[in-house]
Amino acid sequence: MTDPSGYLAAHIQERLAGRAHELGIRVDVRGEVIYLHGEVVNEERRREVEEAARGAAEGRPIRNEVSVVPVREPDGEERLS
Amino acid sequence: MIRVAAVGDLHVGPEVAGTYRDRLGALPDQADVLLVAGDLTRHGTVEEGRVAAAELRDLGLPVVAVLGNHDYHSDAQEEIAGVLRDAGITVLEGTGTVLDCQGTRLGVAGGKGFGGGFAGRCASDFGEPEMKAFVGHTKEFAARLGGALLELDADVRIALTHYSPVEDTLAGEPPEIFPFLGSYLMAEAIDAAGVALAVHGHAHMGTEKGETPGGVRVRNVALPVIKQAYALYRLDGVEDAGLGAGDLAGTAGGPRNAR
Repeated sequence: MTDPSGYLAAHIQERLAGRAHELGIRVDVRGEVIYLHGEVVNEERRREVEEAARGAAEGRPIRNEVSVVPVREPDGEERLS
Repeated sequence: MIRVAAVGDLHVGPEVAGTYRDRLGALPDQADVLLVAGDLTRHGTVEEGRVAAAELRDLGLPVVAVLGNHDYHSDAQEEIAGVLRDAGITVLEGTGTVLDCQGTRLGVAGGKGFGGGFAGRCASDFGEPEMKAFVGHTKEFAARLGGALLELDADVRIALTHYSPVEDTLAGEPPEIFPFLGSYLMAEAIDAAGVALAVHGHAHMGTEKGETPGGVRVRNVALPVIKQAYALYRLDGVEDAGLGAGDLAGTAGGPRNAR
């Protein structure tokens, strides 16, 4: 039997690509709840991801577990010899 | 010795203008060149291309870039490349460039690249025209990459792409999407050219370090992978007379790089 939540997750991912232009966000549908996982560079993009997902979420609750990872200074070099 | 700074997947837009550049002040003291492995923009608009150009212009060291799939999204890739070139950035697409790094000729060849998959689990140039076009795009690029690498009149060669030439650096991504993240055809071209280092981006959930079947070090420098403004790689020993890049990378069987 097909699990329709798989289609929903795929549609949300498609919308994340089309609207938020984020291709690396994982979408899990567990019961009624939609979970978003992944990393973005700032809070605004985290919100954008959630908004884009909401548009395809069919009214279900969203748990936005996307984390913000700011760019930091480099901390050393790798020697390739 | 050549010091290479590398990063990919900046995905800049007007809302983050200036924030990436703020991290680049120390670059001229740390590296001889900055390599940018594609996806400078999010939506591939010319406006975003201008933001990317402003982040990377006049940094005090040469900047060599390739475009990524995001930079193609609005069909403005040519304009974006033009905006970057106007800012003094070298943009490669199946082409190469040679830089003088303190007397050592560093050759960089590259371009966007494409998918198709890896040995044993890859798409074939067969069947529908859509499938042939998909695989054909990669084949055509890999051939141009290989030619551009071999044509470099350089002491050391580096390959710069957006898509990955190997599976190693995709570890962490769902294996089912590997065929959309890179192609072994690029690794084959890299191995045939005696390359010291291959740099790519694209796989945000991947792994930094890998190696081609021929022993060339591959580094995935996508910003979400390296989690710093750029990664720094020091290629030691290149000032030794007659030492080829193949020796540097510990490769066996590839042609020597020194001419």
